[in-house]
Amino acid sequence: MPDLLDLNGDAQNCLVLAQRARWAGIDVRVETIDVGETPEGGIPQLVVIGSGSEAGMPAVLAGLHAIEDTLRSWVDEGVPLLAVGTGWELLAESVQIEGGSVLTGLGIFSGRSVPGRRVSDDLVVETQFGRMIGFENHARHYLPAAGAKGLGTVLYGVGNGGEVRPTIEGERVGASVGTHLHGPILAKNPALADHLLGLATQGRYEPSSLATVRVDEIARAARNAIAVRLGLEAE
Amino acid sequence: MRYTFAILVGRMVRMLARLRKTGGGSAVPGLVVNRLAPGFLAYALTSLPDGLVIVSGSSGKSTTTKMLVAILRDQGVSVFTNPSTANISQGITSALLEKANLAGRISDRVAVLEMDEGHGALLARALSPHTVVLTNVMVDQIDRFYESEQVGDLLDRIAACATRNLVYNADDALLLAIAAKAPKGVTAIGYGVSASVLAQAPRGLGYAAQSPERLVTGTVVTASASRAVTVSINGEALSLTAPARGIHYAVDAAAALAAAAAIVGADFDAGAAADSISSMEPVFARGETTTVSGEPVEFVLVQNPASFQLNVDELDPALDQVLMAIGSDVRDPSYFWPVDLSALPAVTIASGSKVHELALQLEYQGVTIGSIVPDLSTALDMFFALPAPGRGIKTVVFSADAMRRTRSHLGLV
Repeated sequence: MPDLLDLNGDAQNCLVLAQRARWAGIDVRVETIDVGETPEGGIPQLVVIGSGSEAGMPAVLAGLHAIEDTLRSWVDEGVPLLAVGTGWELLAESVQIEGGSVLTGLGIFSGRSVPGRRVSDDLVVETQFGRMIGFENHARHYLPAAGAKGLGTVLYGVGNGGEVRPTIEGERVGASVGTHLHGPILAKNPALADHLLGLATQGRYEPSSLATVRVDEIARAARNAIAVRLGLEAE
Repeated sequence: MRYTFAILVGRMVRMLARLRKTGGGSAVPGLVVNRLAPGFLAYALTSLPDGLVIVSGSSGKSTTTKMLVAILRDQGVSVFTNPSTANISQGITSALLEKANLAGRISDRVAVLEMDEGHGALLARALSPHTVVLTNVMVDQIDRFYESEQVGDLLDRIAACATRNLVYNADDALLLAIAAKAPKGVTAIGYGVSASVLAQAPRGLGYAAQSPERLVTGTVVTASASRAVTVSINGEALSLTAPARGIHYAVDAAAALAAAAAIVGADFDAGAAADSISSMEPVFARGETTTVSGEPVEFVLVQNPASFQLNVDELDPALDQVLMAIGSDVRDPSYFWPVDLSALPAVTIASGSKVHELALQLEYQGVTIGSIVPDLSTALDMFFALPAPGRGIKTVVFSADAMRRTRSHLGLV
């Protein structure tokens, strides 16, 4: 739903995945599912859902509920899914929006999003895919169910918030990843992109093309510029 | 004489700030006076005999304000206004300090102020403007305003303070909704573009939400080709030259004409107003060609995703030499990613403090980058040392911060 869920360029993670796969010699077709559309063309290898405005959340949720069974069957099949910001929140248990009303999500992720203080700042997370660096912009805490697996531990920023220390950011369920890290986060943190592409291609994907190496060097410089500004060590 | 002391202190601070840095310290005196005499700003602005006009919105407010001021002055009205770099409360107070006498009074008849959306929402109630002009709501400064609906709410609060006229962009759905609930006794005056002008912009005009229908009557841009603009005011066609090329400037002209007509009333001279706009100085970095070391250069300012897209779409797709620089004013460049830059064949040099994020976007969108040079001064020196391009002219695309640094490095005013 890129019309509604590309507020920070989050839907562009799809472009990042597609380009990296193409650079590795893999043929890629990108399909858009807009609100009210039914997915066609069989099971995809990867799904990306971005983040949108508060006002747009009910419309997005209606669109998601309409394709709920299909989406759930893909996730059950092990199709990796990357969900960012409000798209992620709506794929989880519930979201309490401004004014107090609660939207019931799809329950693919375990958490409840509840009002918290507004944060709009850099977010740095230590993960299995290295130190991920991006930006968070939200006014809700994400409270996952007991025993849920996070994406990583917050080194700078708020992440999921809540009382748990150290603070956790994001959630991983099977092959699915949900995160507050908004925008084209896979471009700046290609290790997660390559993990998702590895799952999607059963290990056929190799991030060794010249283009990939060049772009990943730029990504490292982009991460370092932010890390140094935050007083963290450069990679 | 309630504010005499504060005004004297403000002037002293201004003098000290200027001693320290030539031309600098413009916000500091206002900051001090606002702290010392919080009522001064509203006192000075509400004492003008012909009242106050507020211009706000995501983009175009600076140009619209300048056009409106030019029209009013040419029709013999003495106008107080603020420079576009001073559109928040401390800046406006600093601007007032330049003109106020020791009693805190301004001698002009009317004030036309460009206001930042957030500061405007806080200040408008105390200022009771008779006319509010709203330009548009675009996705802009996400780290500050989070999303466009929030900007819409801020503009709604400014609009609610208008006492006579609400001049609004009828092509912007969020503003249309605000105008629909204009306070009692306030005339809502729409302006916009015709269907054919809208068709010239295949990706739309960049508003967060576009109204479903075009205006039929009122002030409507009916043609926009480069800088030549035709505006129809209630059926009467006016030709004018905008200070820069592009539909946005034509829309700003329509806003200024509609606002001026509402403010001046029966004596309004539409033909003279069009001439006032035509005789304005071209705006720097708005599609105007400048000369640097004897060579023509086009500077293009990128203010938000919508203007980025429109400006790139208007560039010659076969340009030979492009320098693109994104500076620290763009807190998180993520929100530029929906802008499709793939029409550009190549960027010769990418630069600015956010250069690596820009470079990632260019790489993934398939735009070749000649070199990545984070230091803007170095990048500019390299770029201007290149021989004249084989096609088109040297083109510099930059964010506001990179523009300031470029102008200062090249000694351009």
